[in-house]
Amino acid sequence: MGSTVIGRGKAVRRSVMFSDLSAQREGSSLLCRPASEDQGPVFERTTIDYSPCTERYRLGERSFSRQYAHIYAARLMEMRPLLSERAKHKWGSDVLIKKLCDLETGEQCCIVGTLFKRMDLQPSILKEISEEHNLLPQPARTKYITEADELILEDELQRIKLEGKIDRDKCVTGSVIVIYGAEKNDGKFTVEDFCMADLPLQTPRPELGSDKFVLLASGLGLGSSKADSMLGLQLLVDMVTGQLGDTGEQSGAATISRVLLAGNLLSQSTQDKDASTKPKYLTKKTQAGSVEAMRLLDELLLQLVASVPVDVMPGECDPTNYTLPQQPLHKCMFPLSSAYPTLQLVSNPYSANIDGVRFLGTSGQNVCDIRRYSSMESHLEILEETLRLRHLAPTAPDTLGCYPFYQRDPFILEDCPHVYFSGNAPVFGSKLVKGSDGQEVLLVTVPDFSSTQTACLVNLRTLQCEPVFFSAFSADEDEESEMNVSH
Amino acid sequence: MDELYLDNIDEYVNDHNKIVTYKWLSLTLGVHVNTAKQMLYHYLEHKRKESSPQLHATYLVSGKLEGNGQTCHHVSLVREDQLEDFKSKMSLIVSVHVYSVQKALLKDSGPLYSVDYDAVKDNLKNCSKYSSIRCTNAVPMSAAELQQFQDVQRAPPPVPESKTSVTNGNSSTASKPSSKPQKGIMGMFANKSAPKSQDNSKEVKSEQKEESSSVTEAVKSKQALKSNPVANFFGTQTKKPDKPAKKEEEVVALEQQHQRTAPEEEQEPAAMQSHKETKSDSRSKTKRTEVSDSEEEIMEKKKRRRIKRPEPDSSDEDVIPDSPPQLKTKEKSPEKEPEAVRPSHASSETKIRKRRKVLKSRTFLDDEGCIVTEKGYVSESYSETEDDFQSTKQAPHASIKAKTTSSSKDDEKKSHKKSSASSNKGTKQASIMGFFQKK
Repeated sequence: MGSTVIGRGKAVRRSVMFSDLSAQREGSSLLCRPASEDQGPVFERTTIDYSPCTERYRLGERSFSRQYAHIYAARLMEMRPLLSERAKHKWGSDVLIKKLCDLETGEQCCIVGTLFKRMDLQPSILKEISEEHNLLPQPARTKYITEADELILEDELQRIKLEGKIDRDKCVTGSVIVIYGAEKNDGKFTVEDFCMADLPLQTPRPELGSDKFVLLASGLGLGSSKADSMLGLQLLVDMVTGQLGDTGEQSGAATISRVLLAGNLLSQSTQDKDASTKPKYLTKKTQAGSVEAMRLLDELLLQLVASVPVDVMPGECDPTNYTLPQQPLHKCMFPLSSAYPTLQLVSNPYSANIDGVRFLGTSGQNVCDIRRYSSMESHLEILEETLRLRHLAPTAPDTLGCYPFYQRDPFILEDCPHVYFSGNAPVFGSKLVKGSDGQEVLLVTVPDFSSTQTACLVNLRTLQCEPVFFSAFSADEDEESEMNVSH
Repeated sequence: MDELYLDNIDEYVNDHNKIVTYKWLSLTLGVHVNTAKQMLYHYLEHKRKESSPQLHATYLVSGKLEGNGQTCHHVSLVREDQLEDFKSKMSLIVSVHVYSVQKALLKDSGPLYSVDYDAVKDNLKNCSKYSSIRCTNAVPMSAAELQQFQDVQRAPPPVPESKTSVTNGNSSTASKPSSKPQKGIMGMFANKSAPKSQDNSKEVKSEQKEESSSVTEAVKSKQALKSNPVANFFGTQTKKPDKPAKKEEEVVALEQQHQRTAPEEEQEPAAMQSHKETKSDSRSKTKRTEVSDSEEEIMEKKKRRRIKRPEPDSSDEDVIPDSPPQLKTKEKSPEKEPEAVRPSHASSETKIRKRRKVLKSRTFLDDEGCIVTEKGYVSESYSETEDDFQSTKQAPHASIKAKTTSSSKDDEKKSHKKSSASSNKGTKQASIMGFFQKK
C-alpha cells in the first residue's frame, strides 16, 4: 500500500490525492448486514485556524461622483517603485528610468507606465448613443481584439505609442509595466524588452502535520430552468457532510476542513429581466427568479454549514453590487443558515489565511474580462498573467466595472498568496508557479459546477489540487463514459 | 438488531412503491447513514434470496479515475447493471454502497434527487444528525447570541467605515449631495427632510474635520447609546430611524469630546421638566411627533451651521444593513421613544422655541351645535422655519377638542371634516353646511 511520508526530514512530494488517502483509511465495506447495536462511526471535522482579510475589499461609504482617473494614478504610484527595481535588476542598475516628458529621441532608457490598448471593437457607450453614426448597439462578441489594435503607454503626464517586441494581443489595458527601448524619430517608442512587476514576496507557509483539504466550488447555478446539476450538487453536499461513501471515504471527508463557494451561486437565468419588459398585469404576482433560487441556496447552505465552515463569495449573477469589489451577500437572505457561525459571507475578491496558507481569489469576472480583450484563451494562463502583473484585475475600471477608488488600488497584490484561484472557469485547471524569490503559488481555476459537475480539493499540506467529479445516470446515455476531465 | 427494518423497507418499497434512498431511510428510521446503507444492502440480499418480485437498486461508487493525463476523484451514482462496468474503469475504488432500492427500473436519476430533497426539506433542522461527521463549531447560535453578534458587527464596521469615509470623502470636491431614500415614516416627509438630513450629514462630516461646536456634539452624544455614560442618564436614548450608522461612528470616534458635553446636558434636564407638560398634548401620535421632533433637531443644526461644506455622499448600503437592527431597537423600545423624544424635544425647545401672539381663525362648536369660526389672537409656540407645520397641527387639535363636546357621531364627523377644511382654507365665514347640521 502506498504510504504517505509526513514531515520526516524533507517530505517527499508525492502525489497524495484525496482518493488515495480515503482509500487508505480504515473502513469496512458497507456491502454487508448492519452490525448489531453499532451506531455508526462519527468522525470529527478537522478544525483549522482561519482568519479572513476583510478590510481590503470592503467598501464603507461609497461616493460615485469621482472620476476613475484616481485609481489609475494610485495604481501607477504604487507600482512605479516596484517596477523601477525590477528594471534595474533585469537590465543593470545603471539603466536610465525616465518619465515620458523627459524622453530624448534615440536614447536607450526604461519607461514605466500603464498600458492602454486602443481597440476599434471595444464597446463604447458614446458610439452607441451617437446619433450621427446611427449605429445599432454592438452585439456581444467573445473577443474584441482585431489586427488594427494599438498599444499605448501612459504615465502621469503623457502617452506614447508602442511598437516592437511586445505581444500586443496578449496585453490588456490597465497593466503597469516597464519597457526598455528607445524613442525613434517618428514619435513612437520602440520596445526591445519589457518586464512586469512579477510576484510579490511571500511569507512561507507553515509545515502542516496532517493532510487537510479545502473544497473549492463555483457556479452552482441554482434557480435555473434545467435542473440537471442538482443531483450532482446534492452528491457534493452529501460527500462533504459525510453522508456519502463508506467509512473510509467519510473519514476522508472529515479532513475537508473548509468549503469555499466562489461565486455564481445563482444561475444566469435568475438575472432575466423579464419582469421589466412584460406588462404589469402579467407579472403582478410573480416573484423574481432569484427569490426562489435564494431560498434553495439557503437550504443548501444549511446542510453544509451544519457540518463544515463555508465561505460564500458573490459572483456575477448573485444579488449584490455589480462593480468590483463585490460586497458580501447580505445575511438577511439566509435566514436558516445565518444562525450558524460557520457561515461566512465574504467579498469578491476574497483573501483569507486558512491554517497559515494564504488564499486569494475571485469569482472569475476579472479573468473573463481579460479573455475578451486579449488573445489568451485559457483561464489558467490568464490567471498566471495577472499574478505576474501583480494585479488582480488590470482591466478594471476600463472594461470591468469597478468602484472609483481614490487613494488606493486594492487589486494590487501586496503579498503573494499560496493559493490563487478564480471561479467559474469552463474547465478545471491547476498549476504550481514558482517565483524568482522562492515563492510557490498554486493556481486553480475552479470550474463551473452547473456545467462540469466538478469541484476542486486543495490539499493544504502539499499544495496540490485535485478535481472531484460527480455524475449520475440518465436515460440518454447508454454508455457511462463521462470522461469530463479537463484536457 | 431487530429485523424489523426489513419489514419496514419492504412496506415502503412494495406497498407504497417508494424509492427508498439511504438518506430517506436514515431520516425516517432515525439511524446513522451507514446503518441505513447496510440495511438496504441486507434487504436487497434478503429479497433476492427469496426470489421475490424484481427489485432494482442504485449504487454509489467513488474512486480514482484516470483519464487524459489527469486523475480525479470520481463520485458516481450508477445503476446496478452498470456497477461492474464502472468499477472496472476506476483505477482505485474508495467506496461502494447501496444508494437506493426501488421497485421500478430507473432510467433517470432525477427522481432520486427529488426523494432526497423532500427528505431533507422535512428535516432541515437535523439534516446532519445522522451523518458521520460532526463539526464542533457548527452549532446554531441562540437568539441572544445572534443579537450580540449583530451588535458586535455593527460596532467595528462603523469604525473602519469612518476611516474609509475620511479617505474617500475628503477628496470629493465636486460631490453632489445625494438624496438618501428615507424609509418608512420619513418617506412622508421626504421633500422636507431630505435636504435637512443632507445638511445634517454635511455638518456631521465637517465635524470630523474640525473639532467644532460642542452643541452639535451634545445632540450627537444624545444619540450615543452605549458609549456615553452621561447620555445613559437619560436612560432611553435610542437611535432615530433616519439617522444612519455613520452618526454612531462619528460619535464613537469623538468619544473623548463627550466630556465637554456634560455641562451642556445638565442644563437640559431643567429645561426638559418645564417643557414636558406643554408638549404633552401634542403627542397624539407617537410616531408623527417623533418624526417632527427629529426634524426640529435637524433644523436646529441647520440653523447653527454657518459654514456649509460639500456633503459627502451616503451610501444605501449603510442604511440597509442597519435597518434590521434598527427595526429591532424600534420594536424593543417603543416606550422608550416617546420618552427619548420628549427630552430631546424639550431641549430643542429651549434653544429656539418662542411664544408669540398670532392672529388665527379658531373654529369651534358652539352650544347649538353649530360650527363657528372666529378670528382671534392665539399664543403659539413657533420656531423660525416651522410656522406652517405648527399651524396645521394646532387646527386639527382644536377640532378634536370640539369633537368631544358634541353629542352625535355624525356631527362629529362632519364637524371634523368641515373644521379641517375650513381651517385649512382660513375662511372668514361660517360654512354653508352649517345649515344642514341641526337636522
